[in-house]
Amino acid sequence: MAAAEAPASADRRVWIIIGLIVVSSLLALPLSQQVFGLRLTYTVRVVALGGAVLGVISGVLGCFAVLRQESLLGDALSHAALPGVAIAFLLAGRDLSWLLIGAGIASWLGLRMVAAILHTTRIKQDAALGIVLVSWFAAGIALLAYIQSIPDASQAGLDHFIFGQAAAIVERDVSLVSGVGLAVLLAVALFWKEFKLVTFDAEFAGANGFRTGLINTILSTLIVITIVLGLQLAGVILMVGMLIAPGIAARQWTHKLEQMVVLAAVFGAFAGAAGAVISALDSDIPTGPMIIVVAFALVLLSITLAPGRGLLWSRLRQRANRSRFAARNTLLNLYRYALRHGAANSPVPDDFIRGVGDRSAELGLRQLRAKGQAMFSKTGSEAGWRLTDSGIQQARQIVHNEKLWAMYRLHAHRLDLPLLQEDRQAAIASVLPAAAIALLERKLREVEDNA
Amino acid sequence: MMLLERGLIELLLNVMTREELNAFLRSPQNTATLVGGLIAICGALLGAFLLLRGLALTSDAISHTVLLGIVVAFLLMTETFGMEGDISSPWLILGAALAGVATVLLTEMLYRSGLVKQDAALGLAFPLLFAIAVILVSRFVDDAHLDEDAVLVGEIGLAWANTNSHCFEHCESVTISPDHPAAKHRRQCLNCRALGISPRDEDAEFRWICSNCGHYSPAQAYSAGLLEREPLLVFFPKSITVMLLMTALTLAFTLIFYKELKLATFDAGLAQALGFRPGRLNYALMILVSLVAVGAFDAVGSILVIAFFIIPPAAAYLLSDRLSLMLLIGPLIGAAGAFFGYDLARGRLFGVVPVSDGIAALNRLFGLDLIERWDSSISASMVLMIFVFFILAWILSPRYGLLSTLLRRANRRRRFADQVVLAHIHNHQHTALHSTECRMDTLHEHFRWRPGKMRRVMARLRALGYVRVVAGSAELTERGDRQVHAFRRNMLEAYNMPDLD
Repeated sequence: MAAAEAPASADRRVWIIIGLIVVSSLLALPLSQQVFGLRLTYTVRVVALGGAVLGVISGVLGCFAVLRQESLLGDALSHAALPGVAIAFLLAGRDLSWLLIGAGIASWLGLRMVAAILHTTRIKQDAALGIVLVSWFAAGIALLAYIQSIPDASQAGLDHFIFGQAAAIVERDVSLVSGVGLAVLLAVALFWKEFKLVTFDAEFAGANGFRTGLINTILSTLIVITIVLGLQLAGVILMVGMLIAPGIAARQWTHKLEQMVVLAAVFGAFAGAAGAVISALDSDIPTGPMIIVVAFALVLLSITLAPGRGLLWSRLRQRANRSRFAARNTLLNLYRYALRHGAANSPVPDDFIRGVGDRSAELGLRQLRAKGQAMFSKTGSEAGWRLTDSGIQQARQIVHNEKLWAMYRLHAHRLDLPLLQEDRQAAIASVLPAAAIALLERKLREVEDNA
Repeated sequence: MMLLERGLIELLLNVMTREELNAFLRSPQNTATLVGGLIAICGALLGAFLLLRGLALTSDAISHTVLLGIVVAFLLMTETFGMEGDISSPWLILGAALAGVATVLLTEMLYRSGLVKQDAALGLAFPLLFAIAVILVSRFVDDAHLDEDAVLVGEIGLAWANTNSHCFEHCESVTISPDHPAAKHRRQCLNCRALGISPRDEDAEFRWICSNCGHYSPAQAYSAGLLEREPLLVFFPKSITVMLLMTALTLAFTLIFYKELKLATFDAGLAQALGFRPGRLNYALMILVSLVAVGAFDAVGSILVIAFFIIPPAAAYLLSDRLSLMLLIGPLIGAAGAFFGYDLARGRLFGVVPVSDGIAALNRLFGLDLIERWDSSISASMVLMIFVFFILAWILSPRYGLLSTLLRRANRRRRFADQVVLAHIHNHQHTALHSTECRMDTLHEHFRWRPGKMRRVMARLRALGYVRVVAGSAELTERGDRQVHAFRRNMLEAYNMPDLD
């Protein structure tokens, strides 16, 4: 479907949609103040900003994770960060940048371990991911339990890293996340071509002399950094949702990577900010889960509403197809019956047409009547469905078109016509040049004359 | 369930006294190890089939969805039906397991819509369900057995304390009605709180209520001091019963459907063609996994449980090529992990090496100031020990281990070196170039090897009697010649080429 549209206009349409989404999510800010009586205090603003920045970064990197079908790797990597947090705390105390560095190292080691298991054993990817995910996580839990048994460390709030806690975020954290995040985004911009290539066709990239191994490592490392940045807000268990949900939602709206990345950044910013704000309002709601719920709502919305691809659109398209098909079939049934029983406008009994067409007959008849191609008369021996002049003309056209297609199938080779996919629903005159149509018309006349 | 426990206790009482049994079950270590071991057995048996079908992460999926099932069922029980919330209630287990299976089916639908790839569907749906469950737990559930900590790690260390009591002698249950002599009565003010009336006001209206009325089981009656004679009681932890049931189910399922499972796992197409129903078997497997995950939730929480499904079968997979052997080794590894895991949590690695020594050593080495007493989460330690066994299997497995792979590679490299050197000498022997090509002191240059490597290879070849040194040049012995020809013949056959010699 999408291929049939002019690519440039489809492109512009998606950019317009992206613009509309940006404007409407910006409008959500004052609206939330007006409608829900939300008071944007300093804390809430900081938290929302943090969530939004994080959403942008994870949305951008998440696109690659989604397209490379590595969503579950993201899950494993975020779980694997937990022991790093605990060890960093034991070594360096509660300093966010050290905790995040520890998390990054642990997560990266998890990545290497998955690769090592895949490389040296016959265990498949899913099991390797599961093994690393749960054993790293268990190590983290065991270390956290040990830390909690240390008397003065119980207030450190390390367990916020499990489910995320927006209330714990201060301005310094946000500037740290923004700084590192900016570097990550710059790296993505720098390696844009390479990342795009290894994501869609790694073999082609390798054959053209790109060092795919190195590029993959850089991309995975960036994803690890993104996950680590999000831990404080979303928590190790649910960070994967924040990573991939914006990408999945964005994927529904477009077929172009550039647009997908921009849209994912917007979705991510919205989910991050909204989730963080909602959870900051009530300390009983952990932030990670709330962000996930918002992000999933966006995914659901995209899956249903996205133009062209969404469920709603494909359902509408299906319905349109079904009714067009029903109208066409009913018209032909009426026409053939009428011809066999006299002229093209002789009446067709209601029982017959409904019996032949089953349930689609009802649909078809309704449309034909609406278009003025058939009408129903109840009187006397003439009772039944009767084609109008425009109906007869339409039916003749369809039959003629089908006959031309039949001629095309029989004689295309001998007449040296261009090769086409046969599609009898399409008007043959619109896909073949006029000269070819003329040849087919002559063939058809010959055949009919012989008969 | 009570009947089952009773029968079991009567069996056990044949081999030990009541006091011994109570003492055994009251030890946190025994109960925790037993529960952990049973989870490990169920997990490893079912996990083996999941692993071989490439569905290992389905257990992850199911454990996440089952959490939502548990929370919703728990809320329904307590809020809607007004029952007492009990995580080991059979209704809750059944409801939650069904919810788990239903959600797995839902995700299948999600990726069958074609809009979302399978990994993305899994990676999205399960965090979502988990997120909803966590929000529900932290917002609406107020219960010690179901909080965020229990979700994460369970409370296997307290499994011994949550028991059913069984009475064997002097069993008197007591029902206290308001006119019972032991009944205690208390005044309750009917209109105090609502109208701002204090109980001392004259307007206050009172009614008498009985504060200790109700039905007392023998154990409760004795501890409330209502009985003179001590009833003979056995306290049986509920988790053990639940997991025993699950183990029996799992064992029965694997034994009865062993042939079908094997066929459907290795060749689903053939199974279908032969008239088995691999699809239905698959659903049965999922239901069992859900049941085990719910049964184990109380003990190990909803995340760590997947270790019991994935890691032991993976370790067994590295150790064996036979399904039957895998089904034997997996549970053993899991149970051993559960056994040693308890010790690790209490500070002793493999039951002998104190962890505190390790921490002390770290403190000395890096000048740290860590507390030396190691007291940690039991379920996480069990997972860690299972992981240790996996690492051991990974390194030491006779066929697929890192060590044997390294040895095999070294062997192959050695044999290859032998063969090229023999072939080199064979090619140049009896030619004019023999004295230059095969001179002992320059031989390594022809291969671009270091001299040391050449010396080692030559020493080996001479020790094997393939090569001798004549006037400073290497030449083949008769044995060496035969070796070269045998090797040549093998190679020609391998590449299907005619022998032109």
